[in-house]
Amino acid sequence: MYRFAILSFVFLAARPLTGAAQQAPAAHDSLKGAIRVVDVSGRALEVTTGVGMALRVVRLQVSGATRVTAAGADLPLAQLQPGDVVRVSYGGQPGGYIAYAIERVGRMATGPERTP
Amino acid sequence: MSRRIGVWCVALALAAVSAACPRPLKPGDPLRGLSAAERDQFQRGRVVFDSVFTPETGLGPLFNADACGECHEDPVAGGAGDEVERHATAFHPGGTGRPCDELVALGGPVFQQRVTPVLRAAVGIDSEPVPPQATAVAARSSPDIFGFGLLDAVPDSTILANADPDDRNGDGISGRPNRFFDGRLGRFGRKALVPTLREFNDGAFPIEQGVTNPAAPAEGTFGDRAFPAGTDPTPEPELSREGIDLVDAFVRLLAPPAPQRLSREARQGQEAFARVGCEGCHVPSLRTGDSPVTALRHQDVAAYTDLLLHDMGPELADICFALATPTEFRTEPLMGVRLMTRFLHDGRATTLEQAIELHNGEAARARDLFRALPPGDQAALVAFLKTL
Repeated sequence: MYRFAILSFVFLAARPLTGAAQQAPAAHDSLKGAIRVVDVSGRALEVTTGVGMALRVVRLQVSGATRVTAAGADLPLAQLQPGDVVRVSYGGQPGGYIAYAIERVGRMATGPERTP
Repeated sequence: MSRRIGVWCVALALAAVSAACPRPLKPGDPLRGLSAAERDQFQRGRVVFDSVFTPETGLGPLFNADACGECHEDPVAGGAGDEVERHATAFHPGGTGRPCDELVALGGPVFQQRVTPVLRAAVGIDSEPVPPQATAVAARSSPDIFGFGLLDAVPDSTILANADPDDRNGDGISGRPNRFFDGRLGRFGRKALVPTLREFNDGAFPIEQGVTNPAAPAEGTFGDRAFPAGTDPTPEPELSREGIDLVDAFVRLLAPPAPQRLSREARQGQEAFARVGCEGCHVPSLRTGDSPVTALRHQDVAAYTDLLLHDMGPELADICFALATPTEFRTEPLMGVRLMTRFLHDGRATTLEQAIELHNGEAARARDLFRALPPGDQAALVAFLKTL
């Protein structure tokens, strides 16, 4: 009985945490592509990606919570440039896509894993 | 009695020689040495390759062809075609951004030339309009795709070993690689954009036929807009994973046509081909690396390409694409060139002699040396090309 009460308490206590976790945007997609446009004032990026000749441009909002990195170190959004190759995890929001994490992994001109 | 034995011996010897020398591969044949399962995939893939799509089975709303075999058909499935499609991009060198804009957000870089009746009724167009932002529109002919599985199996390191972007060896030829948007080395397409054959095949279905598949599940756009409701009634993906796997197997396992036996004239032409410097870009042989397919593994392929970009001069210039400038094109593979009736990326040349004459830029020196050859040597060089 005592054990049941403790388990019930733990279960009930955990519920708000679970609910909070569900509210946080879960990354449900990722892409790797080349930056087409960096809009620093609008906090947005456009990335060209795709399969073969079937290309698409993904426009991503960059929030204050979005982590932008290169080689493991934080990077200001303004230091990203067109032609940078980035790996992005992102998710859908009512107003469009929002980036959760952006990692610069190279430059198109030099290939992946060779950061400028 | 002894005469009869002699006849039998001759017959047996001929049979043995015949068995040891298999017949040359014809266009459309699979590679030699496939397993039974691979041959089965090849045959079933050819059926999907030749399947004609309709709006009810996923065609469109925008498309260039209703089947792979509509454009890759001459002389057999996998061959060249007379269709010419439109690509458009915008080139702005010297700015702060990337100089090439593939106009992806505006429906590019491939602007389809046909529409389904439902889309025509909905928006009143006969083809996807090229936006005014385009700085160039390119015509692209349909090449044959024989032997592309072997090109796919050539290691990146082999391609990069032939690159000489700064022309350090001073031969006037400075091949450089193109790269896909994720930074990987490109090799397929006239501008060497696409890194792998699988991706080229996956992307060709939505681009050429408007047929989505698990690797490219999103229907394209009509300019910068989504298709109007009701114009794309077939649920995505419109081609199954199995279907695209089979097409990929068919394309991957298509053998390059076997080069023909060299006549004395063709041998003379082969020497001239090397002497004037064609081999600087049209590298005669590439070796494949490791591959899960035994028939593709560690093979020498008479590709006559280096899969690199070269400046071909202003007369041939059209669009930029990724790192490729308007004047840069990937060296066209010459395997199977004897089967072609139109040459160069847009099919503007109707003879090999015309195609050679239209070479410029990095190829100007080789072209000029060709021009300086005695007529007999010029004819021999062309005769050699007609054996490939």
